[in-house]
Amino acid sequence: MTTEHTQAAAPLPPPVTVELAVATRGLVKSYGRHKALVGLDMSVPRGKVYGFLGPNGSGKTTALRLLTGLLRPNAGTIALFGVPYTWHDRKRLFRVGSLIETPSFYPYLSGSDNLRVLSAAGPPTDVSRIGQVLEYVGMGGRSKDPVQTYSLGMKQRLGIAAAMLSDPDLLLLDEPANGLDPGGMVAMRETLRYFTQDLGKTVVISSHLLHEVELLADVVGIIDRGRLLREGDLQQLLADAGRVKVRVALHEMSLAAEVLRRLAPDRPLYGVDSGEQAGWFTVGVTPNRATEINRALVEAGIYASGLEPGSDLESIFLELTGTGGSVHDRPGEVAPMGGPLPGTNAPSAPVQPPVQPGQDA
Amino acid sequence: MIGLVRAELLKIRRRQATLVLLVVALVLATVIFLATGAYWQISGLISFPQAYVFFQQSIFQVGGLIAIVFAAAYVGADWNWGVLRNVVARGEGRERYLLAKFIALTIVLALATLLMFAVCFLLVYVQGAIYNVPVASPLRADGLQDLVVWVVVGFPVLLQRAAIGFAVAAIFRSQLAGAVVGIVLFLVEAVVTTILTVLTFGSSIANGGLGDGLGNGPSIQTTGPEWFQFLPISIGGNVFGALPGAGGINSGDVSALLLRPVPFPIAMTAVVIYLIAAVGIALIALRRQEIA
Repeated sequence: MTTEHTQAAAPLPPPVTVELAVATRGLVKSYGRHKALVGLDMSVPRGKVYGFLGPNGSGKTTALRLLTGLLRPNAGTIALFGVPYTWHDRKRLFRVGSLIETPSFYPYLSGSDNLRVLSAAGPPTDVSRIGQVLEYVGMGGRSKDPVQTYSLGMKQRLGIAAAMLSDPDLLLLDEPANGLDPGGMVAMRETLRYFTQDLGKTVVISSHLLHEVELLADVVGIIDRGRLLREGDLQQLLADAGRVKVRVALHEMSLAAEVLRRLAPDRPLYGVDSGEQAGWFTVGVTPNRATEINRALVEAGIYASGLEPGSDLESIFLELTGTGGSVHDRPGEVAPMGGPLPGTNAPSAPVQPPVQPGQDA
Repeated sequence: MIGLVRAELLKIRRRQATLVLLVVALVLATVIFLATGAYWQISGLISFPQAYVFFQQSIFQVGGLIAIVFAAAYVGADWNWGVLRNVVARGEGRERYLLAKFIALTIVLALATLLMFAVCFLLVYVQGAIYNVPVASPLRADGLQDLVVWVVVGFPVLLQRAAIGFAVAAIFRSQLAGAVVGIVLFLVEAVVTTILTVLTFGSSIANGGLGDGLGNGPSIQTTGPEWFQFLPISIGGNVFGALPGAGGINSGDVSALLLRPVPFPIAMTAVVIYLIAAVGIALIALRRQEIA
């Protein structure tokens, strides 16, 4: 990826070429009066893992349904591998495998029988592929049991197997980590990495698990209220975001907030005043200004107990979407502060510090 | 397409509802047999080929209702369980998929009909033994021909009724809605047709429309066919009324008893039109649907 995929607010999207596995331009979808998508310009480069992020109801699943021909757009275009794709152009989907929302199967059929009946539909699929994909997702041992006896995580694995059944060039996975245990998440990550890095295929993952996406994605697109807010190479986004985390004593937070706000008046300031992360601020400046932060605090009579580079996907997500609670659903995560710090220009939603890389959230 | 049909047959074969509905059909056939046995003895309908009327009652009337429920449950389940999403997202043609389902449904109903015929044969022999009446050979004289006619003519009617459940479930995207609406349609139409028949028949009497004017007393079936005899369920009753052995009565349709029946070619054509229309509507509905 190059920086050409990194967009600020609504610049022109890149031209649609065969190098893009998925390209949507001006995609609009309404459900009655509710507009789910209001002009989505999404560009998924080939051979990459694309993290598709957004708060609940932001339009992620709607976009994936449009890509798989389940819904009909009100306006806009879709191109798959550089070729325009329309509602009834079904054979274009032969190159696509998908898991949209919850995995759905015939409950009375076994896992392997479900894949067998599914393999009869769509692209020609060798029956021997069924055993392969079941092994991929670690379901070989339970494949003869009825699906109604499966746990959510097992259904999720079977859903991923179903998506991979026809050896597609593009995988669209909607919340694929739902219900997976830690081992399953690691296995999924490895499988998808193999899929992209070794086989040169493309994966689009829609997820709430930002940490998981950060570990897996090469490119991310962040969507809110039906519009793409930011899209680009993940590492580039993290570098561009430029944040420093600083920790002060709890009773000095209000004063520190005033000082820190002056250093980056046009960027939001995040902080937390309770829980294990109490006292941490996330300041919207590049790490090379860390010394400046320290000096400003000292001049105000405040001594920082921690100072470190602090950009992560979560903080970028929070800044772009202005959400606080909806994405912080990892168990054990720090409690929200309950509102913006006095004197800060943080969003009005509850604010939290980004989770430390490697932190057991 | 063959692969799709085979997959559909696997789904039907493994589904518990298939077995349950088949058992229900067999139980109902037996109940009808027990409930009507005395009447049959009096009417002399126990022996072949008159016993085919019993077949018609069991297989095509009761079976028609069960076929509606089965078809609705079978096709509607794809929406209820969300599996249609997987199929469409894989690039399978919506119409192809639904057509494969209908072909599989046709095959299964054909097999079920043959099974029901076999069971009905057995029940007629049991009935004959109970009432100590010789049932004669089902294949004697024109018996075999009658049997073939019953199957060839009766099965499209059964399929047409199943297609109604099929279409309703596809339109409402629900197996429950399909089954309920199908049953309601079946029962409501029977009630409405009966009321309209009685009213029409009464009106004929009031207008002096009965009797042949030669002193031979009033005759029936002097009026009609009426429009309500062409309703989707009633039209099947008119087809059955024309079958050998039925003699225009005992077709399960009051209109065929009191009104002049719809001529067989017209009734059969109407059944085929309903069948094609129901499948066509289901295909169009799925083609246009957005799948959540």
